[in-house]
Amino acid sequence: MKKDKLLKNTNKSSFGPGTLVLQIIVVSAALFFASPLFIILSYSFKTKREIYIGNPLSLPESLNFNNYINAYEKLNLKVTFLNTAFYTSVSVLVLAILCGAAAWTIARNKNKFFKFSYFYFIIGILIPAQALFLPIYTVGFKTGLVNTRAGVIFMFIATNISFGVFLMTSFMSTVPIELEEAAKIDGCSVFGIYFRIVMPLLKPAMATLIIMLSFQIWNDYLMSSLFVSTNKLKTITVAIQALFSQQSSDYTTAFAAIVISVLPICILFISMQKYFIKGMTVGAVKG
Amino acid sequence: MNTHDSKFKKHDRIQYLILLLPGLIIFTIGLIIPMLLGFYYSFTSWNGMTAEKPFAGLSNYYRLFHDTYAAQAWIFTIKFTLLNTILQNIGAILLAVALDSAIKLKKLFRTIFFIPCLISALVVGFIWLKLYGNVLPALMDYLGKDINTMLFGRDDTVLAGLIIANNWQWIGYWMLIYLAALQSIPQELYSAAKVDGANAFQQFFFVTLPMLAPALTICIVGITTGSLKVYDLLVASTNGGPGRASTSIIYYIYSTAINGRQYGYGSALSVSLIVVLLIVALIQLRVLKRREVQL
Amino acid sequence: MKKSIAILMSSVLALSLMTSCGGSKNDDKENGSQNKNTKNEEQLQKEEDVTLRVLAGQSTTDAGTEDMIDAALAEKYPHIKLEWECVDWGNDFQPKMQVYMQSELPDIMIGKAQDVSTYGSLGLLADLEGKPYMDEVLDAAKPGVSLDGKIYGLTYNAQYQGVYYNRDMFKENGWEIPDTHEELQAIIDDCHAKGITPFASHMVDTWSIGNVTMQFAVNEVFRDTPDWGDKFRAGEVNFSDSEEYKHCYEYNKLIYDNTWSDQTFSMEQTACDAKMVQGEAAMKVSGSWSIQNFLDIDENFDFGVFPFPNQTGDSKLLFEPNITFMASADSEHLDAIDKVFEVITGDKDLALEIYNYTKTAPMIKDVTPTFPNPSQSDIDKYAENDRIQDVNLGNNQLQWGGFQEENAKDIAEYLQGNISLEEALAAADARRENSKS
Repeated sequence: MKKDKLLKNTNKSSFGPGTLVLQIIVVSAALFFASPLFIILSYSFKTKREIYIGNPLSLPESLNFNNYINAYEKLNLKVTFLNTAFYTSVSVLVLAILCGAAAWTIARNKNKFFKFSYFYFIIGILIPAQALFLPIYTVGFKTGLVNTRAGVIFMFIATNISFGVFLMTSFMSTVPIELEEAAKIDGCSVFGIYFRIVMPLLKPAMATLIIMLSFQIWNDYLMSSLFVSTNKLKTITVAIQALFSQQSSDYTTAFAAIVISVLPICILFISMQKYFIKGMTVGAVKG
Repeated sequence: MNTHDSKFKKHDRIQYLILLLPGLIIFTIGLIIPMLLGFYYSFTSWNGMTAEKPFAGLSNYYRLFHDTYAAQAWIFTIKFTLLNTILQNIGAILLAVALDSAIKLKKLFRTIFFIPCLISALVVGFIWLKLYGNVLPALMDYLGKDINTMLFGRDDTVLAGLIIANNWQWIGYWMLIYLAALQSIPQELYSAAKVDGANAFQQFFFVTLPMLAPALTICIVGITTGSLKVYDLLVASTNGGPGRASTSIIYYIYSTAINGRQYGYGSALSVSLIVVLLIVALIQLRVLKRREVQL
Repeated sequence: MKKSIAILMSSVLALSLMTSCGGSKNDDKENGSQNKNTKNEEQLQKEEDVTLRVLAGQSTTDAGTEDMIDAALAEKYPHIKLEWECVDWGNDFQPKMQVYMQSELPDIMIGKAQDVSTYGSLGLLADLEGKPYMDEVLDAAKPGVSLDGKIYGLTYNAQYQGVYYNRDMFKENGWEIPDTHEELQAIIDDCHAKGITPFASHMVDTWSIGNVTMQFAVNEVFRDTPDWGDKFRAGEVNFSDSEEYKHCYEYNKLIYDNTWSDQTFSMEQTACDAKMVQGEAAMKVSGSWSIQNFLDIDENFDFGVFPFPNQTGDSKLLFEPNITFMASADSEHLDAIDKVFEVITGDKDLALEIYNYTKTAPMIKDVTPTFPNPSQSDIDKYAENDRIQDVNLGNNQLQWGGFQEENAKDIAEYLQGNISLEEALAAADARRENSKS
């Protein structure tokens, strides 16, 4: 393994003319990707007057944090941030466990019911939840899930489990069946095998899943607005949406709010991207 | 012995079921039952408000095939999906290959490319409205160029404008998947190709691309199903306009079912969308999986 | 470094996990204990604690008014608590209402006056006729929220709609307020001669096209036929053979031809208002919602307002009742709702605070906002001459979602040259059955 990596490095370390072309492509692409981000950051420090009248290209006159203070208050950030973090973290953790279990049982059972349940799950990827929000709400209300923390987490799980199972199933080839068989001979129960042997092996896959889903859930608007809409239970994304209303939007605050809402998830990604790529490399994309 | 074995198996199966069922139940309650309800509403002329939901037979489905606005929305959505699928895959593969080479500052670039997908699509739409409408004109002014950058303002450029915005948001995401796939290609394959006298391009086409096939499956299915469902991007940018030029099928469903208070017909439109998504995904999986096997 | 960030992040997540769970429980406890300790024991015996659910459909100019109401209510009736759900009126109020019709409506709903005709006709709203606090509401605000002799809404403020114009530019160029189209055309011609853009506009916002068209229609169509919408539904009149409605569509074209037509479909409201303030255009067909923007950008900006001329040269300045309080007919707490409405209408300090904050006109008696409004003198002038008109005359007959909004999209396509004027008008006739739910 180590040797393989070494070989790779030596092969790819030569900075030839081809690499120069690639470097130029990447730098110009980075300019394209970074400049809107830079504009957001720059706008978030501008005063209303600067945004309305000033040159959009110019830098903010001073590094004033008023917009951030306003955003903090208008978004009720103390509440909404903790809410969003709570919903997101619980949902992704439960999803990781459920999807792992579902994918593994599907992979280990050849009978028709389990095969069918895979396709049953996959249908979920195709369902446009936006178009179904009335029946989703009706079912949520009848089951007492509306305006509860558990309710929105339930819905996040329901709407994301399909993708999770799809992803986890593609990792299953990386779980060696030999270990499980050995454990079975030792008298291990199915639960024992899953929680003691399979789950640890699925860690990189779960890390991948958690990263891929956490920012989707963090940014979700539909389910949050349906299931936790009171001010006490609100999420950041729902609060931000209110800043972009039809008439007379408060853009200075909105831009600061965007930065605030993206920052935590950005830090999460930057600190975990190593595991993410590792997880992806190990399983999903090998097919 | 045999009875003991089957008993044991039964016991096993119950445990397997216990592992599978929680997810299955949550999924069924949260998504499948609402979908079935939506299917039922599609046979009514319900306005989404009253208690009674008058049965309307197949009339909603009949209307479906005579609705020029729906046809217009389908055409936009399909164009958007096709262009996205092609451009995002090419862009993502290109950047992934570049980031897998010997270039400098890989990690920094990787992060820059990825950040846009962390922003919600609604906000992305708004940012690009501002970019096309304010920032780029100021830039053209500064450069002394007379180029109209207001892509959202005309019905023949609005599609291009949205494609650019959508690619900006998602290329980095798919790039990461390709990057992971690239890094799992065994180095020996390249060495062997070199021994056979393959140049860099030949290596790319005969070694790299075939090995990317599984990743390609994930990305193509992901991009097409995602693009067919485009909605958030339009809400704070073009509002589906100018006129109806950028009204996607979901945007149309939403404005018909909710704003237009024709929930029954909106449900019929949703059903048609689910059917199309199902067909597209099945075809893609079948074709792509077959190719994977061949390669 | 990275590890420490990861640890930080996960601890933040874990922390939030605990605090959010704990937080909600504590809140409940606090509410309970606080009220148990209320000093006024007499009141405690009489009044039980009530929490009312409020759905507020707001525009950004309104956001923040909920805190003011909370504060005023806490002073007078500490046992009544409001649980607010604030959403954007334009995008989310109607979906929210539809959702709550599947379960149960909030006790109080805050929307616009035109919502009354939608939800009142479904029997969902409580009748406020004869309530003492309704005496505090201006009589002019009542017809717009009345249905079959019942009053279903409490209108709180209004926004004036018409052509907002740059006073300095009008003075410098010697332009008079136009009453007829000839006079308006003369100003437009003079603008072109001097290199001035006549109209500011932001047509990427479909609502703006729809709003402007209704302004035209009230003065052109509904002026002579106040029940035009009902007649339209009955099949007695059509868009395609109505000379008046044809004019309304053509006025859109007039604006489009005399604005920054290459930019207007890429420009949202704030950018447009900013250009207006900077003197890049002389006029803007708009409403009071622009005032907050105007004054935010330049507090010395001097502007006035006049109604967009009609063919007969006698058009009226329009007002649209805006914030409108409605009560659910099925609420278990109608008494408490009455008390809330009593505070809202009776507390003149609260009213003044809200009007100054939202920069809107009062619909409550005996309150005069003190924010500087350069267009007030014009409004007073039209009011004196009995030249003001409630725009909901039209809005109540032709609903916004599914009809006016769709027509606005047709108009956009007509302006862009994709369809003809006749096709745009015929398209409106084709959706006759969606003109009201």
